[in-house]
Amino acid sequence: MSLGGQQLLEYLEKLPGTAFRRLYQSPATALAIFRRMLSYHAKVIVRGLLYMPDPFPLTSLDIWFPPEGGGKIHRDRTIAALRSLHILQVSPPSKDRTQEIQITASFKKGLQLAFEGGGEDGSFGVPSSLPVDPSIDIAYLDRYARKKWDDILHYVVNSLGVHGSSEGVSGPKASVKELLLAGRLVERRPDTRTGIGITQAGFTFLLQESNAQVWTLLLLWLEAADHTADSGMDSIDMLSFLFMLSSLELGTAYDTSALTETRRNMLPSLVDFGLIYFPRDTRQFFPTRLATTLTSTASALRTVSSAFTAATANPSGEPGTTTSTSGGPAATPDKTQTAAKGIIIETNYRIYAYTTSPLQIAVLALFCQLNMRFPNMVSGRLTRDSIRQAIGFGITADQIISYLHAHAHQQMVREATVTGKPVLPPTVVDQIRLWQLENERMQTTAGFLFKDFESTEEYAALSRYAEEIGVLVWKNDKRQLFFASKHEQLRDYLKSRKKGE
Amino acid sequence: MPRAIRGVLIQCEPAIKSIIVHLDSVNNDIIIEDLDEQTLVVKENMVQLLKQKLEDRLKETYRPEEPLADSD
Repeated sequence: MSLGGQQLLEYLEKLPGTAFRRLYQSPATALAIFRRMLSYHAKVIVRGLLYMPDPFPLTSLDIWFPPEGGGKIHRDRTIAALRSLHILQVSPPSKDRTQEIQITASFKKGLQLAFEGGGEDGSFGVPSSLPVDPSIDIAYLDRYARKKWDDILHYVVNSLGVHGSSEGVSGPKASVKELLLAGRLVERRPDTRTGIGITQAGFTFLLQESNAQVWTLLLLWLEAADHTADSGMDSIDMLSFLFMLSSLELGTAYDTSALTETRRNMLPSLVDFGLIYFPRDTRQFFPTRLATTLTSTASALRTVSSAFTAATANPSGEPGTTTSTSGGPAATPDKTQTAAKGIIIETNYRIYAYTTSPLQIAVLALFCQLNMRFPNMVSGRLTRDSIRQAIGFGITADQIISYLHAHAHQQMVREATVTGKPVLPPTVVDQIRLWQLENERMQTTAGFLFKDFESTEEYAALSRYAEEIGVLVWKNDKRQLFFASKHEQLRDYLKSRKKGE
Repeated sequence: MPRAIRGVLIQCEPAIKSIIVHLDSVNNDIIIEDLDEQTLVVKENMVQLLKQKLEDRLKETYRPEEPLADSD
């Protein structure tokens, strides 16, 4: 699962059961969750059980989980994942009946409606019947979304205080800026030129692929709505709306009058994020690629490395092409991308970057010690301190390596192909990783310590269950202590165990 | 009923752990439970501070590398 999906999953897992029941009322949501959030095996289980009228014996699932694929542990983890999304119900264990599983009523109904195409009108959007402006095509929408999103990235990156490259950029709306501030992607720093500075979280945000970036921002938006209860926004309805948007078709106009009023009120914010295009004085809106790929795994809009390329690209240059890697066969390699590919790295950790972009230089300065600047290039060195500093910003060694790899100079790539060696010097790559390891002297895991068990059996049963659902981090049988990363399902298990006795 | 205590599990080398125990001995405000010689549970809000203090402590033992003369 991609990073964006992971963030969403964490958000969803925190929601109460009632929220899920409301979410699954919309077939679009049920389908989006099914498509995006479930593993292969989870999908097999859901598909198998969806049209089954009666509960299914848990033990019969075992034929789908052969022992060589992890067997029971794999089965239990899949079931735990489905339960945390309130998709699956498992009957409590008891002595006289075998455990049974079934799909929860709300999810069953939602997904069945999605597959059969029934239910209330408009759960997958209502296409507009009004004439559509022919100039609004997919290329136009892509350009529009990219401009909007790049404005946001520029705002975050420009907070580095680099001059240049900011001309012609209008910057995001004030509401988006507030969101970035509230999410601590940037923070107010009076000593910088723009008055704000980028945070650790901001650096990580920049290096994410754009789907993960969009989700980061949207989840901030949802959380902000939760905190201001009087805003009239309901985060469950908002989430449901986002799932609906993700099921819409790119390049099609949809009717705004088919939306509820609260959803119409969300449109301006979504316009600010670039998720939809909303022409003036019409009752139509167009979802952009940012919206339609929200819940698809196939087409990440762009990779980590090109995220920076996009952020550093001159916004006025190369209209018509997107830096998107999913742009299909029509996407031609644009100038900015090749221009940024000019980093030479030697085995002695020296770096030469042929670039004039202040932004790329700023990015390099995150993890290199830059020494000299020439009209068309900068030179510097990777040092222990510079890598440690980058890791302190929350950038990982792998991110640095993949950035260097993606931006390696053509000559390095050519040399590597001729000699059959890796593009980056292995010594340097290994050293970057070692420097990171050196920084991780302790491994930390947030969670819960379980102690003071009443009996050895209780300890044994609960720790085994924790292991089965994959939340056990550490245990000591002798002292009857264990540490788990989550506690909700363990608590439920204990309760049902108490009842069963 | 067993108890579940919120915290952060730290797994590290025995040497690092002994430093953490030493840091805790000042105010006893870091460690929740000492598990074994490589594992302990600490308070969630102290992790950042702990990392900082550990870094400071380790700096004393770290010899900075000689800057290479830039010959180019």
